[in-house]
Amino acid sequence: MATPSLDGLRHIIRRLETARRPRTAAPPAHEVLGGELHDTPEGRVLVVRREFPLAHQHGRQPLGQAFEAPLQLLGAVARAETPLGDARRLLFLDTETTGLAGGTGTYAFLVGAGWLEDGRLVLAQYFMRDFDEEGALLAALAPLIERASGVVTFNGAGFDLPLLETRFILARRRWPPALAHLDLLRPSRRVWSARFADCRLATLEREVLGLLREDDVPGAVIPGLYFEFLRSRRAAPLARVFAHNRDDVLSLVALLGWFGRALLGDAHLQAEELAGLARLWEPVDLERALACYRRALGAGLTTAAAHRVRLRLAWWEKRAARWDAACDLWQAASRHDVFDPLPWEELAKFHEHRRRDLVAARAIVEEAMDLAGSGGAPERVLGALAHRLSRLTRRLASTGQHGA
Amino acid sequence: MLGAILDDLLTSPSTGPCITATRHFPPRPPVLAPFPPSLDSRIADALRARGIHELYSHQVLTWELIEKGHHVVVVTPTASGKTLCYNLPALQALIAQPDARVLYLFPTKALAQDQLAELEGLAKQLPEMRMFTFDGDTPQDARRAVRARANLVLTNPDMLHSGILPHHTKWATLFQNLRYVVIDELHAYRGVFGSHLSNVLRRLHRICRHYGSAPQFIMASATIANPGELARRLTGAPVEEIAESGAPTGDKTFLCYNPPVVNPELGIRAPYLGEAARLAVRFLREKIATIVFAQSRLATEVLLASVKHGVADKTGDSGIVRGYRGGYLPTRRRAVEKGLREGEVLGVVSTNALELGVDIGHLDVAVLAGYPGAIASLWQQAGRAGRRSGSSAAILVATSAPLDQFMATHPEYLFGAPPEHARVNPDNPFILVNHLKCAAFELPIGDHEKFGELDVRRLLAALEDEGVLHHTGSRWHWASETYPADHVSLRSVTSDNFLVIDTTALDTAQTKRRQIIAEVDWGSAFATIHPKAIYLVESEPYEVRELHFREDEEKVAYVKRVQVDYFTDAISAKGVWILQRLADESRPAYLAEQGEVLVAEKVVGFKKIKMGTLENVGSGEVELPQQERQTTAAWLTIAPETLERVSASREELIDGLRAVTYLLHHLAPIFLLCDIRDLGSWLGDTTPAEPGTVATRESTKRRLLAAERFNPTIYLYDSHAGGIGLAERLFEILPDLLRRGLETLHACGCRVGCPSCVGPVNEVGRKAKATAQALLRALTD
Repeated sequence: MATPSLDGLRHIIRRLETARRPRTAAPPAHEVLGGELHDTPEGRVLVVRREFPLAHQHGRQPLGQAFEAPLQLLGAVARAETPLGDARRLLFLDTETTGLAGGTGTYAFLVGAGWLEDGRLVLAQYFMRDFDEEGALLAALAPLIERASGVVTFNGAGFDLPLLETRFILARRRWPPALAHLDLLRPSRRVWSARFADCRLATLEREVLGLLREDDVPGAVIPGLYFEFLRSRRAAPLARVFAHNRDDVLSLVALLGWFGRALLGDAHLQAEELAGLARLWEPVDLERALACYRRALGAGLTTAAAHRVRLRLAWWEKRAARWDAACDLWQAASRHDVFDPLPWEELAKFHEHRRRDLVAARAIVEEAMDLAGSGGAPERVLGALAHRLSRLTRRLASTGQHGA
Repeated sequence: MLGAILDDLLTSPSTGPCITATRHFPPRPPVLAPFPPSLDSRIADALRARGIHELYSHQVLTWELIEKGHHVVVVTPTASGKTLCYNLPALQALIAQPDARVLYLFPTKALAQDQLAELEGLAKQLPEMRMFTFDGDTPQDARRAVRARANLVLTNPDMLHSGILPHHTKWATLFQNLRYVVIDELHAYRGVFGSHLSNVLRRLHRICRHYGSAPQFIMASATIANPGELARRLTGAPVEEIAESGAPTGDKTFLCYNPPVVNPELGIRAPYLGEAARLAVRFLREKIATIVFAQSRLATEVLLASVKHGVADKTGDSGIVRGYRGGYLPTRRRAVEKGLREGEVLGVVSTNALELGVDIGHLDVAVLAGYPGAIASLWQQAGRAGRRSGSSAAILVATSAPLDQFMATHPEYLFGAPPEHARVNPDNPFILVNHLKCAAFELPIGDHEKFGELDVRRLLAALEDEGVLHHTGSRWHWASETYPADHVSLRSVTSDNFLVIDTTALDTAQTKRRQIIAEVDWGSAFATIHPKAIYLVESEPYEVRELHFREDEEKVAYVKRVQVDYFTDAISAKGVWILQRLADESRPAYLAEQGEVLVAEKVVGFKKIKMGTLENVGSGEVELPQQERQTTAAWLTIAPETLERVSASREELIDGLRAVTYLLHHLAPIFLLCDIRDLGSWLGDTTPAEPGTVATRESTKRRLLAAERFNPTIYLYDSHAGGIGLAERLFEILPDLLRRGLETLHACGCRVGCPSCVGPVNEVGRKAKATAQALLRALTD
């Protein structure tokens, strides 16, 4: 950032002393944005409130499914620290901020909150028209968080919640110490990181929910639009920011619905999604995870993904000492079109240590070396195989076993 | 063995006459006092377990003043047990109140690590001690744990500035319960660094007020003239000063060594680096642990090469002597520190980077290659030898610079003079504005709130106009996406650093290895890592192949290892323009003024200097952009009548004025606690022809000769953008400085000028000394 020069400062100050800029009149923000001013103990805050029927489709996904999601399970697979309560009392949260830098100088100027009320989804957006309305915004938000059974966000663990916590502490408000929180970014990464180039919400909306936003405002320009509003008081350009935030909250609801159906097993899933779902099940229910991996293999994964899944499955089978199943998987993996030493090493170890068949072990290592050599494997891999081979040969010589 | 070498130095006909001063400091017994009655018995037990049964008088006095609620600064020499002064109250607070928090600030990460080790040793048996360092090296995943658990946090001002204050809500418990802030090595916070720290502490005060705490400050400083004043300037609060040390000291000899004159006509002395290296090698050959302090990075590298060479001659092992300076990577520095502590490294050649209290164990001899620019630094560096007991020695080897020669010929000044004042200027506009941004980021600034004692409303209004603040509801709010602390480095006024990257491996193995070997700050980059420059790291020469400095580029210099026997010295062109006059004083012979100036500098070429003989063996040109900065300056314009009285030849006058400029610049640091590089000087004109155009010495001289009106002006300016308070002081002491200059010329034994008074005669001309003398007489009448 450029430091103002001494001259520049002096110039600016002189100008300020002669006349402070009058602010031009603009139509009030609540009229432009279609909201109302709510009174709180800390003053007034602008609230834009919309309601959606549960049958409302966000992309291909009806909103209502979110409230049927098996939450205990979802919380467990998402590794939420505090278990989530009643699905019908969840609070969906997304913030628009004055920057991504974090720290005490970044404000959440717009907070979108969604919850179930009388069989409809209520989506309320709390907006501070200037910095001195932050207290009122937080005062309006606090009871929503207090009475929720849990909070659902996308990347809230890394961004929205620490930011809100900072704002609460600065305003000398209590932040619930053990807030139940489901950050959908974590399970999304598990399910889709292998399939999509990134796991941004926009990507998931497009690919999973089948939603294409029209005229969406890029996140990077949002702080600038707010600062411009503070100077000009013209609220019209902010309408796109409100729409963006509304879509974000609806996507949270829709995405939770998708996870619910997938976990209940009644969604039609692609092979890659099955493999991702299996990763989600792993820490919760291993057998379901393994079943899911097998379904993924059967559903036609790409060869690279299938290879990863085989190795993962084999690792679990080995831990369960189901050696036949593990060997079958390693066998299959050893035929992968890009040479990978791992299944070969596992097979060699199995024959050497389990079956105590040094001859078979040596034959496997020799075959692996042939393949590795012609496949142009790195020096390190060839070295490790050679080392294993010489050890096996030494052991064979000392035990008197001889190869064919 | 040490005694025998010292005797030989003093008596041998080759070195004896060079010793211009000897001072013997006899051992001094300790002044002890019993443990204070209020000291927790568990702490007393921990002290006894470490063999401490009584305290030194200054430790007890600190305890008493802290108990009464004062802020305290302790000023005692190296190894006098000053850490206990602050450790005892800190540990007591943590034992007494489970919620209490203590923050320690050290100028470097290494010092914090050292102190943590010492604290842990003392606090092993004590309950409730959760001490952690928190700095740039703390892994991200460990930071949360430190914030949650630590009740004693050791950090540095940089981390406080960019990592803690802007995230104060995460540290709410610390700020709510902050009992003490400990600042060690207080004297290090002078100039730019101190001006920054003062502002960081203004921000700390705001945050503490917000959380309802008012911590006490416990500070420790090496000897400077104004520790109490510095402490007050930094903390903005009244501070009690403790200057009487009760610690014992070992037997120490201090010698001042002035290299012999080898050319009396030109007043040239034997090169001081060679002399310093010879002395160091004499000690090292006898396995006497020796530290050599050099005054610049380049001097460090040159000295290291000769010391290694000299030692390798005899022992065949050059690995026992290492280099140490800022710019070396931390791992390399840690290895050298460890080597010194454990005795594997016997000798070290260092910049003032080792002047601070980094633990390097005991050394027997300190060789100071050149006066370090300040009395306080002199004693600090000399104190690196013989920290605990036994005999030790320190030798100051004078350079031929006026400052050094002044010290060598005025030993009474060296030993008797009070140390210098440490100056800070927290209100430097560049520094202040940056910290105001950070402060607004941390907490909105109220309409009637002061920053320190300062009314900053106008600055805040200016910042709103710039679009980074927004005023509403009687408060100023941060209204920008940026994180302002990221753009402010506490170590400089501006914050871009260059990485020096070794690409030697790229050619031989065809691999894209980017090995970072050093860092160079923006201010000195063009002069040290311009294309074709030879850059030395541990005396290994690297040639700069490319320098990337454009706004939109990563700031890097690509270098390659080369085999050469020369190093490079940059040639620059300069210009100074007056922007604003803030004070003036008219005298019959001259007009003295003080104010703001624009200084433009441009590196235009370089000289190649052969290692060892230091002869000029070539030169080259470079194309680099001009660097400009606004800063503060003092200048004097000499009345035409005064000039006429001195000489009728304009050329003689120019040479004489240049000589006076050189002399004043080199003497001024004696009166200001500053490095010679903190000041710049220039002989120019009050009405320069073409603003913004820089000129070399030669072209300036041509212009002055041809000028219609001859209005020569001597500028002495603060090297740091915005100024750190040096110019104001210079303006005050100018009459005294002129008198000292005249004295120095009278005292100098050379006939026609030498580097020790008016500069090398081949640069200033043969009549320069006489003309300078006449000018100074006229100016001091």
